[in-house]
Amino acid sequence: MSLALEAAGLTKRFPQGRRFRDLLLHPLAKRLVTVLEDVSLEVHRGEVFGLLGPNGAGKTTLIKIFCTLVLPDAGVARVNGLDVRAQGKAIRRTIGYVIGDERSFYWRLTGRQNLRFFATLNNLSRLEADERIGELLRLTGLEAHADRMFKDYSTGMRQRLAVARGLLKEPDILFLDEPTKSLDPIASQDLRRFIRERLVEGDRRTVVLCTNNMREAADLCRRVAVLHGGRVRACGTLEEIQQTLAGRERYCLRLHGPHERSLGVLRGALPGDEIDAPPPDTASHDGLLFRVHLSPGRSDISHVVEALVRGNIRVQGCWREEIPLDEIFRRLVG
Amino acid sequence: MRYSAGSLAEDWLTGARKPLAFLAKDFVNAASYKLAFVSQIFGIFFSVITFFFMSRLFGSAVLPYLEPYGGNYFSFVLVGIALASYLQVSLNSFSANIRDAQILGTLEAVLVTQTEIPTIILCASLYSFAMTSVRVLAFLLFGVFVFGMDIGGANLGGAAAILLITIIAFSSLGILSASFVMVWKLGNPLNWIFGNLSWVLGGVLYPVTVLPDWLQQVAYLLPITYALDGMRLALLKGYPLSRLWPSVLPLLAFAGLMLPASVWVFQRAVRKAKRDGTLTHY
Repeated sequence: MSLALEAAGLTKRFPQGRRFRDLLLHPLAKRLVTVLEDVSLEVHRGEVFGLLGPNGAGKTTLIKIFCTLVLPDAGVARVNGLDVRAQGKAIRRTIGYVIGDERSFYWRLTGRQNLRFFATLNNLSRLEADERIGELLRLTGLEAHADRMFKDYSTGMRQRLAVARGLLKEPDILFLDEPTKSLDPIASQDLRRFIRERLVEGDRRTVVLCTNNMREAADLCRRVAVLHGGRVRACGTLEEIQQTLAGRERYCLRLHGPHERSLGVLRGALPGDEIDAPPPDTASHDGLLFRVHLSPGRSDISHVVEALVRGNIRVQGCWREEIPLDEIFRRLVG
Repeated sequence: MRYSAGSLAEDWLTGARKPLAFLAKDFVNAASYKLAFVSQIFGIFFSVITFFFMSRLFGSAVLPYLEPYGGNYFSFVLVGIALASYLQVSLNSFSANIRDAQILGTLEAVLVTQTEIPTIILCASLYSFAMTSVRVLAFLLFGVFVFGMDIGGANLGGAAAILLITIIAFSSLGILSASFVMVWKLGNPLNWIFGNLSWVLGGVLYPVTVLPDWLQQVAYLLPITYALDGMRLALLKGYPLSRLWPSVLPLLAFAGLMLPASVWVFQRAVRKAKRDGTLTHY
């Protein structure tokens, strides 16, 4: 069995708070808000999978379903082949959940005391716990701060302790819920490096990273699922998503020639395709930069260049442009 | 799956360490609030002094209503207050711990561990029970050594047995009350009903026999009435267990029925909160 996680037709609706008037007029009626709608995805063992989406997309709910903290209304969710509805106890043996919220710790206990408490709840013997805690504190660079109260930790240290807690029972699958949220860029980069080098390349764990940062996902994940409004908008490698999403290639053309004529030739060569032109009054010694979006199988960049040359427009440069990650994200969730 | 004796012993030890882990965590947490911790200790002393002066109001006269319990009001009320403390902590601590964990945000982190819900709910209240026991012990020690309360002929074994059954019986009410908090967050009718009825009718400050007949019948529906009766007879009159059955049996029946029922209800409440996605809401 190579699947670490599996969701099929997963749906979750949460009841919404009601006003007194609604309670009086319709005491039995429930107002539901859909958080996940027919979500299907698979995560393979040993892969780093990204759950991407804006706030409120349903990422955390999906993670909580896999962690047995929320029960689905419909569909199937399995962790290592175990059903989340019926086999919660067995699932909790194999997973680690790095909760993004720093309030999930006891603030007036030290980092070590916190880890020791959670190690006991995870059935580690005292000897195992001490060894594992020492190792994790070293690994997360918190050894020197282990005996300080959690409340005195910086945000970065708190996140690292959350990762250490998630790894206490050496889980097969580690869920990271926005681990770099509210970290400064350096702390964020450090934590990303730690995840990449220790968890992914070192331990070869299955890691599910929940984030709203496309670059973070691109940096760490082999495959991603983009969630929006509770639905999976795209799923696959970033390259696959780029292609599926756009269905088009984007080229940049630097042209020497009058603006109006250049645009006219392009429009003639690319009927129906999207063209981003510079403003008409743009003057540049380096030429004018146009972007064209070609539909595969319908347009060919060599034909466009040919048409420009025939129209006496000098083509100073022509190159293919990758669709920026942010734009992919915006298009999927916009 | 096969278990060796060694692995079973290790599992048992690991399980046994969980209550200690909760106790240690809550003690460190409470002791870190130094002022509150110290004032809690002083509070015990002031409570005992208050009861003492109340008892002086009645002098050393043997009150006819208190005759079955030795007749001394100070001893009577001290046992009443001590046991009422257990009722209070049983009713409040389970729900308060759940609510604290919801507000602080630690509930999910605990529920995703390999510890089952009944263990979590029971262990989370241990510290409150331990502190109440310290307070009750202090009441009794002050009562005996400073204010001359007589428990020379007490049946301490019987008293301990009654205390254990009482705690189990009261805790089942507390766990039911925690189920309310799990689902409705605030507004807990059980605490209000049992807390107030027990205080007024259960015989904490005065014997049940002073109540009108019809109220006495209501009083005998409350577990605290039996707990107080049995505890006073064991401590102040030294009754052997064979004479304590009228108090012990109803308590045992209440505990035996209500504890599994309340744990079942609590598990259903957690399931509902998981279904509604409100586990961490408050």
